[in-house]
Amino acid sequence: MINTVRARLSGTGTDFLLSVAVAIAALLVAMLFVVASGVSFSRGASAFVDGAFGSNLNVAGTLAKMVPLTLVALGWIVVFKAGRFHVGFPGQILVGGLFVSIVALKIHVPIVIHLPLVLIAGMVGGALYAGIAAWLWAKRGVNEILSTLLLNLVAAQILAWWVREPFHDKTTPLPLTPSLPDSSRWPELITNTDLHWDIVLVPIAALAIAFLLARTLFGFRSRLVGAGEGVARHAGISPERVGSRAILLSGALAGLAGSSLVVAGSTPQMGEDFGANYGFTGIAVALLARNSPLAAVPAALLFAALEQGGGVMEGTVGISSSLVDFIQGLMIILVLGATTLLYMVRRRGRAKRGPKSRSQTAPKAELEPAAR
Amino acid sequence: MSAIATVGIGPFDTAWLAAALVLTTPILLAAVGELISERVGVLNVGLEGYMLAGAFFSYYVTWKADSLFLGVLASVAAGLLFAAIMALLTVEAKADQIVTGVGINLAAIGLTSYLFDQIFGNKAQIVVPTVGSLSIPGLSSIPGGFGSALFNHDWILYLAFVSVFVVWFLLYRTKWGLAVRAAGELPAAVDTAGISVKRVRWMGVLAAGGMSGLGGANLAIVQVGIFHQEMTAGRGFLALVAVIFGRWRPLGVLGACFALGGADALQLRLADESQVPSQVWAVLAGIAAAIAIYQVTRWRQGRPRPVAIALSGAVALCGVVLAAASPHIDLPDQLWRSLPYLLALVVLAGAITRAHMPTKLTLPYSRGEG
Repeated sequence: MINTVRARLSGTGTDFLLSVAVAIAALLVAMLFVVASGVSFSRGASAFVDGAFGSNLNVAGTLAKMVPLTLVALGWIVVFKAGRFHVGFPGQILVGGLFVSIVALKIHVPIVIHLPLVLIAGMVGGALYAGIAAWLWAKRGVNEILSTLLLNLVAAQILAWWVREPFHDKTTPLPLTPSLPDSSRWPELITNTDLHWDIVLVPIAALAIAFLLARTLFGFRSRLVGAGEGVARHAGISPERVGSRAILLSGALAGLAGSSLVVAGSTPQMGEDFGANYGFTGIAVALLARNSPLAAVPAALLFAALEQGGGVMEGTVGISSSLVDFIQGLMIILVLGATTLLYMVRRRGRAKRGPKSRSQTAPKAELEPAAR
Repeated sequence: MSAIATVGIGPFDTAWLAAALVLTTPILLAAVGELISERVGVLNVGLEGYMLAGAFFSYYVTWKADSLFLGVLASVAAGLLFAAIMALLTVEAKADQIVTGVGINLAAIGLTSYLFDQIFGNKAQIVVPTVGSLSIPGLSSIPGGFGSALFNHDWILYLAFVSVFVVWFLLYRTKWGLAVRAAGELPAAVDTAGISVKRVRWMGVLAAGGMSGLGGANLAIVQVGIFHQEMTAGRGFLALVAVIFGRWRPLGVLGACFALGGADALQLRLADESQVPSQVWAVLAGIAAAIAIYQVTRWRQGRPRPVAIALSGAVALCGVVLAAASPHIDLPDQLWRSLPYLLALVVLAGAITRAHMPTKLTLPYSRGEG
């Protein structure tokens, strides 16, 4: 038992170190770019830190951005553990927002009822849209990467139409909906900032998903299906059922992220692209968190700080905020590179040490994806 | 378009044809490269990133070095570079292809936007000279506008269309092509034959990168002479769609890309009109009818597909009715733009398509694991 404990600890320990190393490496690269653009290291670094944490307004901005990042990351983790990962989060975010706009604008009830309804609408919208991909996979064997890629593109068109035609605010030529009523929106946590009460979703969702995956029957089944469809089927579990449920849950989480982007955003009107990009950066967050629901929170904080700091840095020292996008992509690449490097090193070590040591260096699921 | 008399059916005239070919080219270039890559088993979600890198660097190098030729070279190099990162991670290190692709996309979009902002942000829009037309003598004077529509384009466009046939030949008539096709279906066989699966896969990924980079160059320094952020606007994903649509075959991919380009050209044409012209319905009806007839002939061969027949027949019927009635409907642009994606989903859901999909697509190869 001591061996497994030691193995478990070293696993988590290495994971954590790896994430920290990748984050630092990526930040250093960022600073390299900053310096190459003529801004001194200290000025760039302080502008960035200031932008992310330097004032109430900035901290609020950072925390606010954590919400969609965490939710999407959790969505990714759920489907990843079930072996059914997809890239449909941008589309599910958008459709979640679409459903939110319906409930927000078409019903008039006090906030105590309205806001929960709005959140449910977001989750339902995201889950339904993910359901299309889930159905296509379960019933027609369609690779869900391809289907969700396509569905993302379709969702973008649907939203473009939605805010220009049926739900267009006729008083403006801009593609926006009318202002969503206050009863449908999250109240501000700190007034006159971007931070709303939806921040509570972060710890709640992270703990809920962590609990779901580790301690419930659904979580166990998902992880079993993710480990190998053959094994799961042998145990009497239907991979299609469990996999589909995981996809629906991830869609619900993305839809919830969409709802936050719409009703906890800086403007009360909904546009055609209120943050679908979080659907991809959320994946980066999950990767940095090594697919652990609880680690997703600090990882989301880092990414949120990057976004917030980068945005402000653009104004103060003139470094384009697109650098942040580059760094986020770089982090994914570095995490993958580092993980596989580590895996190969462990594997060589295992081969050298012989059969007894095999249990301590079990391969990570994401490096050798199960046949889809 | 110049004042050349054009021949055609309604909006489908030679001017439309010329526009369709131009719009098809970048997607076609990327799709042909991706075709090779997917046949060897690698799915490049980062295709959009390769294209964007190609577009930016072609623009930048053309401006900096004052040379279109170097600009084109740079675009290919940029695409190759990002593809090399992809290959390093997915073929060598066996990391997951999808996640890597997402990362590369993010990185490429971020990098090109950042570099553009930093280098060009404070200047007025710089327009670089564009690659000129290469008019094929004789052929380009075919009357009715056909000559100028087909034979008065830049060399990259000709290259794109020629490459389809080159790839067809390479895939189906050479040993290399056999290895490529096998690498995505039964890599163990390739390995046993003494050919390095990794090397074949590297080539596939690099092909996707290089050709997409060229596609990006086509966008930037052929069509407009400028770059703006995210100017590929999803064309990389459309190329992925085209490969699926084309059932992983060169001619199919050509058809799919042309359908996309043609629809795009049509949509531009119809943007000003208040209703969908009846000729569009007629053409749609014609295509659906052709599909229906084709499915019926398969039925007589003993391979019935009733759903396909019913669907295409219904569409054909609707098309005929709409063409005749010519009602005043104006379908939203977004619906037309979603059509390729929706059709691709339908095609994906069909069993025949999945029969053609390379079996080992997205799966890494380890010796001993087949």
